[in-house]
Amino acid sequence: MTMRVNMNTHSNSSLIKTHIQDLIVDWSSDVSTFKVRWSKAMMWIFLISDTFIFGTFLISYMAVRLTVIDPWPDTSQVFALHVGGTDVPLLLIAIMTFVLISSSGTMALAVNASQKKLRLRSGVLILLTAFGGLMFIGMQAFEWTKLIVDEGVRPWANAFGAQQFGSFFFMITGFHGLHVTIGVIYLSVIAKRVLQGRYDRLNDYQIVEVSGLYWHFVDLVWVFIFAFFYLW
Amino acid sequence: MIIALIFVLFTLFVIALNYYSISNQFWFPELASNWGTMDTATLVTLIVSGVVFIFISLFVCYCLIRYRHRDNHRAEYEIENNKLENFLIVFTTLGVIALLAPGLVVYSDFVNAPDNAQKVEAIGEQWTWSFRFPGEDQIFGKTHPKHFSASNSFGIDPDDSYGMDDILIKSNSLHLPIGEPIDLSLRSKDVLHDFYVPQFRAKMDIVPGQLTKLWFTPTAVGEFEILCAEYCGVQHYNMRGTVIVESEEDYKNWLSNQVIFANNRNEKTVTDLLVGKDNAQSLGCIACHSLDGSVGVGPSWKGIAGTTRKLNNGEKILADHSYLEDSITQPNDKVLAGYPPIMPSYDLTHQELDEIVEFIESLN
Amino acid sequence: MEYASSDESVYEGQKLSHPKSWVTKYIFSQDHKTVAIQYSSIALLTGVAGVILSIIMRLQLGYPGVFDISADTYYQSITMHGMIMVIYLLTAIFLGGFGNYLIPLMIGARDMAFPFVNMMSVHFYAISVLLLFGSYLVPGGPTGAGWTLYPPQVLLPGTPGYDWGIIMMILSVAVFIIAFTMGGLNYVTTVLQSRTRGMTLMRMPLVIWCIFLATVIGLLAFPALLVAGVMLLLDRVVGSSFFMPDIFQFGQHVTNVFGTEYEGGSPLLFQHLFWFFGHPEVYIVALPMFGIISELISCHARKNIFGYRMMVWALIAITAVSFIVWAHHMFVAGMNPVLGFFFATTTLIIAIPTSIKVYNWVLTLWKGDIHMNVPMLYAIGFIFTFLIGGLGGLFLGNVSVDVELSDTYFVVGHFHVVMGISPILALCGGIHHWFPLITGRVMNDTLGKVHFWATFAGAYLIYLPMHYLGLGGVLRRYYDFRGLSYVSESLTDMNVFITLASIVVGIVQFIFLFNLIWSYFKGRQVNSNPWRATTLEWQTPSMPPSHGNWPTKLPIVHRWPYDYSVPGALQDYIPQNTPDNIDDYES
Repeated sequence: MTMRVNMNTHSNSSLIKTHIQDLIVDWSSDVSTFKVRWSKAMMWIFLISDTFIFGTFLISYMAVRLTVIDPWPDTSQVFALHVGGTDVPLLLIAIMTFVLISSSGTMALAVNASQKKLRLRSGVLILLTAFGGLMFIGMQAFEWTKLIVDEGVRPWANAFGAQQFGSFFFMITGFHGLHVTIGVIYLSVIAKRVLQGRYDRLNDYQIVEVSGLYWHFVDLVWVFIFAFFYLW
Repeated sequence: MIIALIFVLFTLFVIALNYYSISNQFWFPELASNWGTMDTATLVTLIVSGVVFIFISLFVCYCLIRYRHRDNHRAEYEIENNKLENFLIVFTTLGVIALLAPGLVVYSDFVNAPDNAQKVEAIGEQWTWSFRFPGEDQIFGKTHPKHFSASNSFGIDPDDSYGMDDILIKSNSLHLPIGEPIDLSLRSKDVLHDFYVPQFRAKMDIVPGQLTKLWFTPTAVGEFEILCAEYCGVQHYNMRGTVIVESEEDYKNWLSNQVIFANNRNEKTVTDLLVGKDNAQSLGCIACHSLDGSVGVGPSWKGIAGTTRKLNNGEKILADHSYLEDSITQPNDKVLAGYPPIMPSYDLTHQELDEIVEFIESLN
Repeated sequence: MEYASSDESVYEGQKLSHPKSWVTKYIFSQDHKTVAIQYSSIALLTGVAGVILSIIMRLQLGYPGVFDISADTYYQSITMHGMIMVIYLLTAIFLGGFGNYLIPLMIGARDMAFPFVNMMSVHFYAISVLLLFGSYLVPGGPTGAGWTLYPPQVLLPGTPGYDWGIIMMILSVAVFIIAFTMGGLNYVTTVLQSRTRGMTLMRMPLVIWCIFLATVIGLLAFPALLVAGVMLLLDRVVGSSFFMPDIFQFGQHVTNVFGTEYEGGSPLLFQHLFWFFGHPEVYIVALPMFGIISELISCHARKNIFGYRMMVWALIAITAVSFIVWAHHMFVAGMNPVLGFFFATTTLIIAIPTSIKVYNWVLTLWKGDIHMNVPMLYAIGFIFTFLIGGLGGLFLGNVSVDVELSDTYFVVGHFHVVMGISPILALCGGIHHWFPLITGRVMNDTLGKVHFWATFAGAYLIYLPMHYLGLGGVLRRYYDFRGLSYVSESLTDMNVFITLASIVVGIVQFIFLFNLIWSYFKGRQVNSNPWRATTLEWQTPSMPPSHGNWPTKLPIVHRWPYDYSVPGALQDYIPQNTPDNIDDYES
């Protein structure tokens, strides 16, 4: 006997109810809920968990910023680059954002190429993405050096205003930078394997898409950090 | 069968324990404030949950007996019974509303202090209490941690005119008039604490860096213990004070004898010994060292100066002026026998040290 | 291969390589069953340490001044006891132990989706346990701030372990979270993606639903703890002021490691972050124990769990609502009073799906065919104790009642009943029940009954009186109650009584451990499926199952897991993988 889920079969059941029932039947179907491979499902679930981490960092930052008594520094002045005689606010950040978003673009192209099983093209594009990430890290390191050495910003004090500015800055950008670094290493390994023809032998390029998910996540987090920390 | 009966016995034990406790001493301490409504809400919850507990427990025991395994007996096959489930959901929801409604009504009372309430401030620090009244202008002077010092232990801004008439209570004993609502502001100098008088029922955490509030109306005269109800370090259990509820007249009498901030800062009107005593109270020394010989966490100051005492390593030492000073700046170097080496060190000026030690010596 | 499709390859399941050496079989095992036993063994060992710590605490409370227990030792003991029991024992054993063992078997898979990551997770867990106990080796000893680790006191002198102990604690918890995340990703992915043919989500046994949802909760709640821990660590190590306001302690302004003052931080922020994790954490422990009880009751009453669909919906409701109740731990913490209304309401709302579950267990017993064996005893005991504990929660969730009961022994009594006694009963009942599957032998019944009755009585003799201490206003985290005039002599006597009872019950727990180890070697051997259960884990060809669980083809599921006492059937149970045309029952 099969336990028939007691689905409502009233003739006048509403459209929404049928949709919900169909959703339940789909998602509770046997073998798999989501018709994707396990590694892709696991990456998505990991990214949801990681979203909560960065979300908690950003919400804590906002909560503290709203309640400190000392004034919060003006980010467009703190993060300005002195170029050609004038202060250009947020120039470095703008370049970093452009580089990271472009690297997401190259990653999307790489995934596209991998779906067509184009070994050389997808391998090169992954390397380009990793290179973009490396440039991002380099610029972030430059930013840190400038703030620590030139401006004397420390986690426990800074000359611009509320002490928590420095500590949140280093903590949030540090964690993000760590994720980008891990991503660069991860992508380099994948690129090497692609170029060596490993996935041609297995006839399965799906790992490129899974790693692409991670890279897009890292990029998306940066967009939020950029918006909430630098622009606000 | 026997097993079911044992479970029934346990159920009866719970009921008996409840009955015995409520009718004897295992219940709330004697109420001394207006928050009897909290007790009522608790009693309502107890009755509702008690009824649910008795019913479900006895029903389980019934099932254990009636549906125990016997030969040729089979369980029924019933997948679900939506009608029963829906009924149970509705029934439980009504029960929840029955509990929540009175609870929230009492709570809305709790968070709204009456306008005419007498303002008082309680300051918690590791590990003692002090208090402040706003004085005649009924406005508290502004405070900031940067103003804290041995001579300004309340951290009141000396440039704020409202603070000049603030009445400072440095001992951990607060007097209150009976029948008047009290709007208690709570401030901490260091870590989290909580102001709690069991007989008043209400409590609220004290958070450093912000202000919290509590209100109650004392309804019975007497002496009540203040307890800290949020873990605040190793002496948390020892952070005690007293609330003395008395008639309006006695209270006004007591209040008029307390020092106000303006006078407190004027050291010319205060003798050295009182300055020493003052400092000892502000710094919290008397939380651990009694002045009357009673046993505390640390040795009592009464009669200690000039005597020979044994240290915890067996050596004997003379408790002279320099030993007493060292005990404040490097307290854990030479600890008296029988006392734990837990006293924090205090970084005071030479004059402040002198004043405190002279005060200790005056207690012989 | 890991393709998720309905073609022939699904019958084969994933390809596993079988280990040959002792090291890859027992130390670096990638077999979910071995990993489960590794998790459980480490967890039970930490539990033993937790029990010893609790006895130290009770000796001080019952007989203050008699034993040479300093305030430092006392507070360090309560902190380590709390952290060990909640995280290192209960979370690890329910998810790492039961989850790892049961999930692949009950859904018809050969192993977890990522066996290598599974293996890493238990090793990281072991490292986190070493770090935790390492805090006894650092100067100053472990932190003594209470398992909730509230700043600013946790980082300031006046609290034991404020310098090194807290660093070890945070590092240990961070490593645990990494271990948990690795394991958790595995459980969720496996349940969602690698069930066998015919195993829809609505045909999964309830214990799998429970462990699955508990893992989902964990993946979303532990991030908040990690963030709070990182920020606390930074406050300690680099002198930031996330949680540290301007502090004037012992006559001077407090400075950080670099000599500047702390200022501007918010202690309440830590509490919000901690409890955003902390409340879902108790459901991470509670949900698996609900699941175990559902399996025990239905199997040993030979009756389908009443209202399976409603049980699943109740679980989903509990999972969702558990994220919006956290500030009922902060009713008197000094947060905006308006929040009290909101959180009291959501807390009492979560009581509704929880009580539905209790009703359904009881209704499963009703009209059942109850076999009073040892697992069933544990399950019945659980219903009683969870009822008491849950009803106690109604008091604390109702904000105005909580004002007078917060931080008293009422809270301690409540959480020890729901997080102490009830999980232990579920744990022991579950181990008794699945022991034949794991070892091919049964545990000793007499020892089991002795352990059960002593532990069950303990709930009443130890924790019920604590509720009364709380009503009397006796406060928690107090090292010594002497000198308090409002604590009457009868309440003091009650403290002594609780101490004596807890020492006896604490020692009785060793009977269970003895039973476990003795039965492993000397227990009576049994044939497969001794409890005549319907679920898939009992339908493996060998007991205990071999690596890969089903040597040839995976089972195909044709029915739900609760076909007990089907009318017209010869046997009183029909396993899940029995084809439809047998026993010709028609709906």
